[in-house]
Parts: sequence; structure tokens; C-alpha cells
Amino acid sequence: MNPVRESALIETRRHFFGRTSAGIGSAALASLVNPKLFAENSADALNSQGGISGLPHFAAKAKRVIYLFMSGAPSQLDMWDYKPKMNDWFDKDLPDSVRNGQRITTMTSGQKRFPIAPSIFKFGQHGSNGTRVSELLPYTAKMIDDLAVIKTVHTEAINHDPAITYIQTGSQLPGRPSTGAWFSYGLGSMNENLPAFIVLHSTVNGGFGGQALYSRLWGSGFLSTRHQGVSLRATGDPVLYLSNPDGMSVSMRRRMLDELGRLNAERFNEVGDPEIQSRIAQYEMAYRMQTSVPDLTDISDESKETLEMYGPEVSKPGTFAANCLLARRMAERGVRFTQVFIRQWDQHGNLPNDIRRQCGIIDQPCYALVQDLKQRGMLDDTLVIWGGEFGRTIYCQGGLTQTNYGRDHHPRCYTKWLAGAGIKGGTDYGKTDDFSYNITENPVHIHDLNATILQQLGVDHERLTYRHQGRDFRLTDVHGKVVTDILS
Amino acid sequence: MMIRTFTISLAMCFTACTGADDSEVNFSSDILPLLSNSCFTCHGPDEATRQSNLRLDRPESALMKQESGHVAIVPGHSDQSELFRRIGSSDADIKMPPPDSDRKLNDEQIALIKKWIDAGAEWSGHWAFQPPEKPDVPAAVEAWRTNGPVDNFIHATLKTMKLSPEDRAAKETLIRRVTLDLTGLPATIHEVDQFLADSSEQAWEHVVDRLLGSQKYGENMARIWLDAARYGDTHGLHLDNERSIWPYRDWVIKSFNGNQPFDQFTVEQIAGDLLPNPTLSQRVATGFNRCNVTTSEGGSIDDEYYMRYAVDRVETTSTVWLGLTAGCAACHDHKFDPLTQKEFYQLFSYYFSLTERAMDGNALLPPPAVKVPSSIQMQQKTQYTQQLTAIDATIAKLLAEFKYTDPQPTEILGELSEEQFVWIDDEIPAGAKPEGNSPWQFVEAPDHPVHSGKKSTVRTGAGDAITQHFFTGATDKLKIGENTRLFAYAYLDPENPPQTLQLQFNDGKWDHRASWGADKAFLAGRNDALNRQMGKLPETGKWVRLEVDASAVGLPPGSELNGWAFTQVGGTVHWDTAGIVSQSLSDEQKRSLFAWEQFRAKTKQPALPAEIQKLLDVEKNKRTPEQTVLLTGYYKRHVHPDSRAKLTDPLAQQTTLKKQIGDVDNAIPSTLVMEDRPEPRQAHILERGQYTEKREAVSSAVPEWLAPPVANAPANRLGLAEWLVQEKHPLTSRVTVNRFWQQFFGTGLVKTSEDFGVQGEQPSHPELLDWLAVDFVASGWDVKRFVKQIVMSSTYQQSSRVTPEKLAADSENRLLARGPRFRLDAEVIRDQALALSGLLIDTIGGRSVKPYQPAGLWKPVGFGGSNTSVFVQDKGDKLFRRSMYTFWKRTVPPPSMVTFDAPNRETCQVRRARTNTPLQALVLMNDVQYVEAARKLAERVITEGGSGVNERVFFAFRSVLSRPPNATELQSLKNLFEEYKSIFRGDPESATKFLAAGESPVNDQLDPNELAAWSMVTHLLLNLSETVTKG
Repeated sequence: MNPVRESALIETRRHFFGRTSAGIGSAALASLVNPKLFAENSADALNSQGGISGLPHFAAKAKRVIYLFMSGAPSQLDMWDYKPKMNDWFDKDLPDSVRNGQRITTMTSGQKRFPIAPSIFKFGQHGSNGTRVSELLPYTAKMIDDLAVIKTVHTEAINHDPAITYIQTGSQLPGRPSTGAWFSYGLGSMNENLPAFIVLHSTVNGGFGGQALYSRLWGSGFLSTRHQGVSLRATGDPVLYLSNPDGMSVSMRRRMLDELGRLNAERFNEVGDPEIQSRIAQYEMAYRMQTSVPDLTDISDESKETLEMYGPEVSKPGTFAANCLLARRMAERGVRFTQVFIRQWDQHGNLPNDIRRQCGIIDQPCYALVQDLKQRGMLDDTLVIWGGEFGRTIYCQGGLTQTNYGRDHHPRCYTKWLAGAGIKGGTDYGKTDDFSYNITENPVHIHDLNATILQQLGVDHERLTYRHQGRDFRLTDVHGKVVTDILS
Repeated sequence: MMIRTFTISLAMCFTACTGADDSEVNFSSDILPLLSNSCFTCHGPDEATRQSNLRLDRPESALMKQESGHVAIVPGHSDQSELFRRIGSSDADIKMPPPDSDRKLNDEQIALIKKWIDAGAEWSGHWAFQPPEKPDVPAAVEAWRTNGPVDNFIHATLKTMKLSPEDRAAKETLIRRVTLDLTGLPATIHEVDQFLADSSEQAWEHVVDRLLGSQKYGENMARIWLDAARYGDTHGLHLDNERSIWPYRDWVIKSFNGNQPFDQFTVEQIAGDLLPNPTLSQRVATGFNRCNVTTSEGGSIDDEYYMRYAVDRVETTSTVWLGLTAGCAACHDHKFDPLTQKEFYQLFSYYFSLTERAMDGNALLPPPAVKVPSSIQMQQKTQYTQQLTAIDATIAKLLAEFKYTDPQPTEILGELSEEQFVWIDDEIPAGAKPEGNSPWQFVEAPDHPVHSGKKSTVRTGAGDAITQHFFTGATDKLKIGENTRLFAYAYLDPENPPQTLQLQFNDGKWDHRASWGADKAFLAGRNDALNRQMGKLPETGKWVRLEVDASAVGLPPGSELNGWAFTQVGGTVHWDTAGIVSQSLSDEQKRSLFAWEQFRAKTKQPALPAEIQKLLDVEKNKRTPEQTVLLTGYYKRHVHPDSRAKLTDPLAQQTTLKKQIGDVDNAIPSTLVMEDRPEPRQAHILERGQYTEKREAVSSAVPEWLAPPVANAPANRLGLAEWLVQEKHPLTSRVTVNRFWQQFFGTGLVKTSEDFGVQGEQPSHPELLDWLAVDFVASGWDVKRFVKQIVMSSTYQQSSRVTPEKLAADSENRLLARGPRFRLDAEVIRDQALALSGLLIDTIGGRSVKPYQPAGLWKPVGFGGSNTSVFVQDKGDKLFRRSMYTFWKRTVPPPSMVTFDAPNRETCQVRRARTNTPLQALVLMNDVQYVEAARKLAERVITEGGSGVNERVFFAFRSVLSRPPNATELQSLKNLFEEYKSIFRGDPESATKFLAAGESPVNDQLDPNELAAWSMVTHLLLNLSETVTKG
């Protein structure tokens, strides 16, 4: 053993056990009993909205966030990252100098060749800057001046599970809180009738499928479970267990809750435990949710114009269009963070066909959501984010023809867009090489993106921390730089 | 979420303000945390981020003159100490911690540091890294009831803090508390009455001993351990398919029930497979380290996952036994604790050499796995095996006794007779996939005609429609020999006869057909092998045999069929018994082996075992003597009429026994276990935790600064385990007793039960913690004894009533001036409702079950190809098992559990949150499980609770809460009952609907309106705050 350490140990033991009769310092004991004496960032110190005190750190541009998550990783090459030179490279091999020995997934690492598959889609120029947008996105193209398009988002993860966990929680491994949970924890709720963080899942052609999602993606990790996202469902109870049992009318429920409250209060008088009072309040909120949630999901008060804007699917519960409209309704009702998931972007083969279908589903509702918020004056304080967990390769996976190809996972650059809440519209940010393989200008790591999202909500990403296992954890781990270039 | 609940802590700083001056400053508890929190990030153990070469975690650096000429700490002289100058400065350039660093020391803290320096800056290591020594037990406080050392320690602190304990709680409260704590289930009225009636001194101890002896104790202890073990029923990543590791869960239950000493419990879980001649049980125990999440996602890179799995195992071991956050050192030297990155990878090395594959294959049992037969299965297997051995001997004897010489060894085979082989009857051949316009519809007599066996199939087609049912993919193919004919039976409905019947045969292609009746089926207009015309439709209203030569439909000898289609045009047809007719030998011919050989050369059906066919393929005179013996043996057993007659029965028995053994084998569950590779895989320090960034090679070793390695311990997991449970280990015993303490009092003596490091919280009662730890080890790591010690204490038995004063002084009840009171765990809340309703099925162990869960939770997120993407709810008893047996899909854990803070089990967790949310209210209000439980409890109220309303309210109330209702409560529930009764009388339809919740039958002997009204009362009771609270 290290001699210095050994002597230190002997020292310590003497001091430590020499003092046992005096016991733990009473100052320290007092601090245990009342943690606020010493803890700077105790979770017990809450601000008026139920977030932690001292937050927001500065004036927030965004009051709320709507995150349109494209699970499976949409191809930046066919939607956003215009690479006309690739037309001359059809079926030629990706130069080694471009790949540069970087790792690729084991789905294509065994391929003998890495033939270039240029996008078959046309890219028009749109908006005041003539930004290139694929013909797949005619509606989105119309609102390009509202968006900041980042073409240089990048990540380290090359497979779905770790990558989506990474972008949602800041770590590739399970166990950390999701972005929405951080907001709920830090900023609290803006309403008393609905959860602060709501998750919506979208059907594709009436069904589900595609890459898996995991409840950790909206989980609370080591934060209190009260911060986890609540799924709002299109079938059955919109919020789990919301409806009274068959045979129990609202008035019967009310009567039962009144009596329950009385008996609980009676018990509180007896034993004095404040948790009882809190439980009484929770039952009242549950009761309010039984009204407020159906009110949220009932879209019969929407105008014909509004519904038409979102497209014909809007009236089918569970579709991406219906979920986008719900996201707007939640924004109106003070939901802090809404995350809409749509799957089936993992196009390893038959990409042209599948991406047409996907874009057909999302394009109009995305447009409608941003315009709807704008018309209502809410885009100024609502941050809308669009994108997936990584991008796709320029080289083809599987058979390549002039009209058909597939693309593997590509983490080194991909595209996301942001809109509203202090985001500079009409921004076309970051550059990639001719192969959309490497970033040549303005890289934006997913931690940078998350730092920027936090920033717009008035949160310094380095200062929103939670002490767990002795360490102050952050959404952005020990990384992240706010992308100020895209802010107005 | 939403409305946040927190206890308003008025917390007067009664000691920080007054006590601090007259008490010494303790380095370990008062100063080290401040230095760690504010300084160690830049001046701590991590060499990579250390600034100015100054480290404040070591006296030799802190007391030394720095390059700048300053000394950070000059003992006795805060005025000469650079550290004090810096922390006290208001100059932003000098101020430490730097003003922009988000770390701060407040005035009190600065004053404390000054006081410590001025008092001589005595240095000590972090308390938790010194082995505990048994402190003297403080004297009892006069007039306060003490039941042993636990109380003496607690009382001594209370006295110092000018608080006094509460009286003993009411007996009803106590028995409810301890029954929930020790078994996770409520006390029955009978148990409560027994305790109330027992006025002896030992009444309490009787209850405690009874509960400790209950098998439910082990279940409850195991339930809590499973959070630490991150136990789940799926792999946890990507596809999240089912995994079979529940025998490990059952091992944990058994271990707690058998009161296995905690050191053995530890060794077996970490290294049971490495013990000398490990038992099956010891191998099953190693499932602890196979509970981590694994993947098989396409495209993943093996090396990355080998690394991640090993890291998870180190982190878990470290959290559970060391109370250390080792994970930090995966990327860099630990910032606060002295664990270096190298030491981390030395621990990592223990877990880096398993035979497991990086990709779990989405399999139920990614190897290594072992079969875990129950004792009944073992018995059965032994019995069958013994019987089989006996039969084998009989057969061998009979064979030996039957001397055989071929009477006609050269004679050429003459005329053959015929034999029928049935391929399809009552079921389709093994391995085949049934298909068709509509599914195969099997029907039975007497409602339907059946030709043979128990079933036939029926099909009705409309008008001219061609419909069919068929299969392909049979594994035992139908072999066509010489002169073979194919046949099937049909029964044509006289009222609705078809226009055409057609049989189709698949030998890889559907190119072989035979038709009867109008030429309207497939490939109409021809008469060849593709569609052989067989003439008129057969008679209706009776079974008729359809038969066609194989050669007529283009199937030469040697063809093999894997599929068959029954096709009809319109009409209703029953189909049955189908197969082939092939030629066979006469009994006389069978007496010649050579004749049989010649016959087998022509006939292929039924197929011979491959090894016998191989022998036949060898020319007669080229066979070795052994081959001849083998062949003759087969011939005697299965062909020669005389020997066969003698052997038929024993052979049938042999087949049955083999099948029985196979059935037992198939029913034996398996579980994942640990196993090391013969040659260890070399571990390296991984720069920033990146698997691609290998640095120095390291081998397995323990961090010796915590405790020396055990002499002669092997350099594998067994050595690691032995190191953890050595008597003088500073952490294992403390961390363990602390977790048990937390289980009973809600908070550990160290609140951060997962972190005993420098950043962890200080213990509220350090001497008590050490006393318990030493005592626990000295007792032989006796868990039941430890648990008993806790629940026997008067501290545990106090009333949990709280006054505003006590609440203000100690909102979290860390000092225990009152009894424990907190919300029950998710599983206990549900199990309690099941037990109260009488629905609980208390079988222990077994494969996990799928009770009620709202529809459509798995589908929206599950991967299409996952075998857990569709939730299929179980039925019957499986709806009412204890919650610890609920199938835990880790990417979508059971919602009613998660709502009450159960973890998702993706990672190790030793401390659950306890929230209070509206979603919890919704579960208790509306989850069918609770509505049904209320109804079943109401049935009990009516059938067991006496006749009057008063009596029944008493019964219901006491069932749920153990105590009787007070006058207000009684009146309130009576009123509620009467009110609801009149509501349901006026609206009986609602009553029926309300009672229909759940799948258990409604007691139809009872008046539904009254039952519904009582169900509302019990529903309310199950929703009471007191019901979901241990008080």
C-alpha cells in the first residue's frame, strides 16, 4: 500500500474514532435535518410554478416546446442536403478519403462496395434566401422563411437505440432524465389541469411499426417520477385510467371524492402528516383532469379553415396531423413540453417509395402547425423542433438502381430545423462536403442543439443540474455550446 | 409533475446557530463535504483536471508550499492560509471558487472552514472509507422506553437535539405496520384480533417471529432486492424481447426465506459459478449479473457492447455493495472519491471475460444459461430414466435371445402386397403451416361426420368460387415409392354438394393435381399431371375415397411431398384421412432380411431412420460386421414378424418413456448465468470511456485503499466477492445495513444510500450505523436477526403522529422522534388490494404473468418484429398474483407500477422516489384491478362481515386499516352506503355495470344493488390516504 496513504489512514482512524463520543458535528446534523442550510441546488427549493428556484436563469424566449420527432432517422440527402454533384457519381464508390476510416454499422460494413446513390428528388429554391428544399416537402418549403435549418447536426451513436436515447437524454445508455423531464423539473408546470410534459405517438397508414421507442425517452431517469412525460393516447383513455368505471356517474364520483376528502382531512387532523393534504389536492387535480383532458382532445370547436390547413387526416385520432393539432391545443393550455413521435423513417431499402409516404404524411401538418401558431401569435413564444436521431449515408445499402436505393445510418451530419421563439427564420446553417458525409462548416453536436433549446427557455444548460450519486448531472453532460448564430 | 408537493420545512437552525460554537469541527463530516463540493473539481483526485498542481483531498498537498510560494492551509493560522484568503475574498480575480463557476461557499461555511483551520486543521480521511469499529452504546435516557442499543443511540441524539420520542403506537397500527413491512401484505382481522388478545410481554415478538417465518417475508425482501439487481423479463434494449431469468428471481426469494447469510448471498450472486463444484442453485444466483440490459440491434458493434455490459456490472456492484459511484471513473479519475480510472478498469476486468456474446440474438436464453428443474421435474426425470434403462435392457435381452439367420439370403423378391400410410388425420403433419381462404376448420362428431380419428375438417364455398385449405412446410416429408397411390376421404353434403373436388400436392411446387367432377378448379381445361381428370363427382351423403396414382400426377418414386391442398368449387365438403398406399411385404417375405432389403430399395414410405437408411445404401457384401449387426438389430425390432411380436410392447414403452423424458426436459425452465472464458479477454484503460481508445492493459484487481485483497483469493470474480465480504471491509456492511434501515424507516441513516462517497450525505447517526454494521457482521451477516432487531426497537414502534413543532424541527423524520410514516411501494399497494379482496393467489415463483393493463400500450412503441410488441393479457389466477411476478417489459414497464414510482429496471436502483401525483389518484380510482378488488372486498363484507350496516362498516374498515373506525368515520361511511344503495336501487343498470369490472365472477347470490353500494364504500376505503400509507 502507498505509504502516504497508509499513514493517512492511521491518522484518520485515530481522529475519527477518537471523537465518536462527541458524535457527528451538530452543525452537520442540523444540515441533514434541514438540507437547505447547505444545499445550493436542493430540489426542495421550488419556484412559484413548481420548478426550482432561480429559474429561469434569464428571460425566456420560449414558454413551451413542441418537438416533432422523426424516429428512425429521415434522409437528409433526399429532403434537405442538396448535393447536385452526386449525379455524376451514380454507382461509383465512395472515396476512402471521404470515409476516412470512420466506423460504420455492421449492416453495411460487410458490403464489398459503397456505391454512391444520388437523390432522385428535385430540389427547388425557396424563400428569401433561395434555400434548397426537396420536392418531397412542398408545404414545408413554403414556410422556409420561418425556419432555421441546421444541416450539420451530428452525434456519435450509429444505432437507433443508443442514438435516440442520446439525443433525448444526453447519454447513450439508459438511466438519465429526458429533455422534457428536465424542463418539468427546472421550470415546473404552467397549468393546474394538465401534465407539464405530454407525449403523442402517431400512426402511419393506420398502424404502428418501425424502429422501437422506449419509455425512457420521456422518462424521468433519476429525477422524481413526477417529471416523466405522460402519453396522451388516441384510443382508449387519452390519459391512462382517466375514465370512471362503468356504472359510476360523474356525480357519484364527485360524491365519493367529497367523502374521501373529508375522511382524509379527518385523518390529517389526527396525525398531522402534510402528505395527506397533498393527496387530497392530487385527487382534486385528478378530478379536474377528467374534464380538462377530454376538453383538450375534443376538436369540435376548431374552425373548418383550421382543420383544412392540417389536411384530411386531422380528423383521424392518432395521425400525425391530428397530433400536430393537439400539440397546438396543448400549447394554448400551458403544456410546457409536447413531443410528437412518428416512426418508420428507417429506410435501409426502398427509400424513394417510403420517404414519399412519410413526407406525404408530415409535410402539410408541420406547415399547418407553424402557421397556426403564428396566426395565433404563439409562434413567438413556442419553440418548434423537427428531426430525428441521426442521418443517412450517401452510399447505397442493398441494390442500387436509377430509381431505387436504400441508405444506412449516418451520424456525422444530418438535418434538423427549428422555428419560433427567438429562432432566426430563413437561416440555412452549416455546410457538409459534396457527399453529405463530413461537416465542413459550423458543426452542431446534439448537445449543442439541446443547449440551444434550453437557452430559449431561459435556462443556462450548465446550471440546470441535479445531484445524483454525488455528481451534478446535466442534460448536456459536460458538453454543449449554444448555437447563437441561429438566434435572432 | 404539476402540483408539487413538498413538506414545508421551517427548520429552525437550532444547532447550526447555537450549537456550532461549542462543538468541535469534524473534518470528515463538516469540512470534507465542503471542500469536495466546492474545490475538488479542480483541486481533487482527478489528475487530468487538476489546477495549479494543488489537491485539497490530500494533506500532503494542501499543507505544502506551492510553486506560487503560498501554502493553502497553515494549521492554526487561517490568516496565513491562502485557501482562507481566497474563499473569503471579494476580489473576483482571487475569489475561490471562481465566481463564474457556479460553486459557492456561504458565510457560515467559510466560518466553519476558518474555525477548522484555526483549531489546527486536523485531517482525516473520509469516514466511510475507514473500517467501522463498534462504538460504545450510549446510556439509556431515563424514562424513555428502550429495547436495546438502537434506541439508546437514537435517544442520545434526540436528547442532544432537545426532542423526545413518541409513545408506542396503538397495537392495531403496529401490527399493520410490521405486517406490511415484513411481508408486503396487510394483516388479517384474525391476526389483529390475536395480537390484541395477547397481553403477554412477548406478544409483539410472537407477531414478529410469525412474520419472519412466513414465506411472504422472502418475497417482500426479494422484491426490494430486484430493484438493485435491475431484474426484468425483457432484454431492455431495441427489440426488447422476452428473456428467461425468473429462476434467478425465485432464487432470491428462497435465499431470503432460508435466511442465507448476506456474505454468502453476495458471493453466490457475484461468483457462484466459480465456487468449487458449484451447485445448480449457486449458478442460478449469478443471474444477478445477467440482469443488465442487452441488445441485438442490427448494425451494432460487438466491442462497444462488451464494454458497456462490463461497465454496467461494475457500476451495479459498486452501487449495491460499495455505495460508490464508480461509473464516474470510467471516463476519468473520480472527481471526489479516490477511485482512479485504472482502478475502475481493474474492476471492469473481472466482468470482461464472460462467454456471453455481445449480441443477445433477441433470444429467450442468450447463453450461457442453465436448466433449472424443479424437484418434481427431477424426480420425474430420474424415474423415467430408470424405467428406460430397464426397458432398454429387456429389449437388448430379447434381441440377443432371438438368433437369426436369413432363410433366403439370395432369393429375388416376388409379388408384393399393399400397405396404407396415413399422413393427415386430426392434425396436419409436424412443422407444416396451415393456410387457406379461411383457416382449417376442424370439427368433431356427433355434429359432423368424421371418417377416422376424432376430427374432420369442413369447408363451404359459394357458387363457382374455388376455395381451399392447405399446408406446406411439413418437416417429415411424405416419400413416394414405386406404385404409390395418394388418397383422401371426402363427405359431400347432399343438400349442398360441390361442383368439383381437387387434390393438389406440393413437392416444392404446386404442379400436381387431380380433379373429380366439373372441370372448374385450378388449371381447368387440361388432363395431365398438372390437373388429372378423374371422372365424375363421387356419391354424396357418405364417406368416399378419392385415390390417384402418384405417377399420374407427375410424382415419380423418390419424390417428397411437404404440402397438400384440399380444394373444392362451391358446396360443403368434409375432408378427412389422407395419405398414401404403397406396396408392402407379406409376413413370409418379412422373415427374410434380404427380401426386406430389396423391398426397401423400392419403397420409401415410411422413411427409415437416417442411420439405418445409410446402412442399406451400403452394398450387402461391403458392410462391416458392426453395420450388419446394427441393421439386423433394426430388422429384428421392426420387421421380422416373430421377433417384432415379442418386442412390440417393450418398444412402445421405450418410445413413451423417451417422449416423457423429452416432455419433462422441454418443460424445465432455463435461466441466464455467468461463465468465464477459459482465456481471459485483456482489459485496457479506455480513454474517456471510449471502447476504441485503448490505453494501458490492466488485469483484475480490487482498489486496495478501501481494503486489502483477501489472502490467496483467486484473481477472478470470486476474489472480488470475497474481498467485498471480508470482515474489515469499510463499506459492504455499512451500505447493507443502511439499505435495510431505509426499507423500514423510509430514509437511510445515510440518506444517499447509493453514495457513501465524499459527495454522499453524512450519516444522521454515524455511531449507530457503525454499531449496526459491526454487529451485523459479528452475527454472521444474519439478515433476519437484523430485521428483527429493527422492528423490536421502541424507535420503530413509536406512533407516527406528528406535531407541527416536530414537523418544523425535522420534516423528513431523520432523527426519528416519531415512528416511520410513508407511502407504500407500488407493489404493496396492489398486493394489499388483492389480499383484501380475497383475490390474491399466493403461489410463489414461476414465469412472470401479465395481469390487467390498458390496451394499446406496447404497440405504439414496440418494434414490429419484437415478441413483446403485442400485449396479451393473461387469464384466471395469473391476474391475481403478487405484483413482483408481473411481467416487466423494460421499455414499457407496467403502468400502474411505474405511476407509483417503481423503476423501469433498466439500471440498478437502491432508492425509490416517493411521489404523490394525480396520476396515482387515477389509478386507484379507475384501474380495473382496484375496482374489481373493491367489489370482491364488498362481497366479503356482506358474506363475512355480519348482518347490520354498522357491523359491516366495522368489518370493511378493520379489514383495510386494521383499526376500528371512529364515530365520524363510521357515520360517514354508513351515510355513503345508504345513499349509494338508493342511487343503485333507482338505477340497477348502473349497479350491474359497476359490478362487471374485472374477470372474476360476481357472487350472484347477493343483491346487486346492495353489493354495488358496498363496493362504493370499499372503493373509497381503498382510496384513502391512510390505506396507501404505512403509518
